[in-house]
Amino acid sequence: MLRSFIRPTSICSTLLLGGCAVQGAPSFALVGAYFPDWMLCGMIGIAVAVTLRVVFVLTGVDALLSLRLFTYLSLGVITALLAWLIWFGP
Amino acid sequence: MKKVSLSTSSPIGFAIAAVCILGAIGLGVYVSRQDGAYPSSDSGSIDAEVVHMASTVGGRLIALPVHVNQAVKKGDLLYRLDPEPYELAVRQAEANLALAAAEVENQKRLLAVKTANAAVAQDQTTRAQTNHDLAARTVERLKPLAGHAYIPWQQYDQARVALNDAAVSLAQSHQQASAAQIAIGDLKSSLAAQQAAQAMLDQARYALRQTTVIAPTDGYVTSLRVKEGEILAPSQVLFTLVANDTWYASANIREITLHAIAPGDCATVYSMIDRHTPLHGHVESIGWGVASLDSAGLARGLPLVPREMDWVHVAQRFPVRIRLDPADPRLLRLGATATVEIRHGEACH
Repeated sequence: MLRSFIRPTSICSTLLLGGCAVQGAPSFALVGAYFPDWMLCGMIGIAVAVTLRVVFVLTGVDALLSLRLFTYLSLGVITALLAWLIWFGP
Repeated sequence: MKKVSLSTSSPIGFAIAAVCILGAIGLGVYVSRQDGAYPSSDSGSIDAEVVHMASTVGGRLIALPVHVNQAVKKGDLLYRLDPEPYELAVRQAEANLALAAAEVENQKRLLAVKTANAAVAQDQTTRAQTNHDLAARTVERLKPLAGHAYIPWQQYDQARVALNDAAVSLAQSHQQASAAQIAIGDLKSSLAAQQAAQAMLDQARYALRQTTVIAPTDGYVTSLRVKEGEILAPSQVLFTLVANDTWYASANIREITLHAIAPGDCATVYSMIDRHTPLHGHVESIGWGVASLDSAGLARGLPLVPREMDWVHVAQRFPVRIRLDPADPRLLRLGATATVEIRHGEACH
C-alpha cells in the first residue's frame, strides 16, 4: 500500500524536477566572478519568503498565522534548502 | 487599507509555525549531513605536471624549431645548442685516447726489452756460477801441488785471486739478475691512463649529445620568449613544457569532510572554461601536509607562537588530487578554475 503510493510520487517528482535540474557546474559566472550555488539558493529563499508574505496577506491566510517572523523565515529556509537539494544535492 | 493584526494567537497559527520551524531545522540537519558526506569545492584548479626544459651544458642557441604554445610530441626536437665546442672537445679526447693507446704499445715494447734483459742477466748468473766453480776446483787442485812445491806459489796465488774474482762476479750477477727482474714492471699505469682517456672521451661525447634537447613527454611549450642566438648557461631553463599525458584537478577540501574521501572515489570536475561539460576523474591521493601559519617554526631557534584568544578557528584545507580521464583538450589548461564534486555530480551517476 505504502510502496504503491511512494513509487508514483517519486516518479512524478523525478519527472517534474528533472526538467529543472541545473546542468553544469554548481558555480555561476557573473561579471567575471564565480558565485557559489548556495548563494543562488539563498536568494531564491528570500524571494519566496517575500512572495509568500505578499500572497498570504492578499489572500487573508496571514491572519491565521502567529509567530510570523519565524514562520516566514522557516518557509524561506525550507525553500532554499529544497532548491539546493533538488538542483545541486548529491 | 486593511490593518493586519500582528498578535494573532490562534492555535492553528502556532501549529503552522511549529511545523515550519521544525521542518526547517530537520531539513537543515539533513542538508548539512549530505554536504558533509559528499564533499565539493568550487575553488579547485586544473593541474598538470611540468618540465622545465634545460640542457646540462651551455652555449649558443642555434636552432629553435618550436614556438610558444605549440603542442609537441615525445621525442620531437625542441632546441639545439652550438655543438662546435663540444665536437672539438670530443676530438681532443679522441686524440688523448690515441696518445694513451700509443703509450700502452710503447710500454709493451719496453716490457719485452726488460724481460729480455732479465733473461740475459739470469744467463750471466749461470755463467758466473760456472766460472766460480771452475776457479774453486782449480784452487782445490793446486793447493796440494803448491804445498809440495811442484808448482810456483805465484801460480797458486793467481788461482786464489781468480776464485775471489769469480765470487765477486757471481754476487754481482745475482744482484743484477734480481734488479733486472724487478725492473720488468707491468702495464698497469699505462692501461689506467688509457681507461681515463676513454672515460674522458665518453664524457665529451655525452656533453655533445646534450646540445640537442628533445621532448621528454607530450606537452605544450609555454613561457618561451627568446629566439635563436640566445646564450644559455648550463642548466638554464629556456621554457616550461606542460605535460599533456595526464591532467589533474586539485581541490582544497576541509579536514572535517576528508573522512568521506578515499583514493579511487569518482569525481565530477567542471573546468570553468566550459561550465556545462562535466569531466570524469578519480581521487588519486590526498595531500599529506600543508604549511601552517600557527607553527611557523624556523629551522633553528624557538617556535613563533602568537598571543591570541581566538574562539572560532577556520578549518584547515588539504589539497585533494584528482586524476582526470582523457578529455577535450580545450578545457584543460594549467591553472584553470575548477569545480569539483566528489562521489556525486553528472559524471558519477
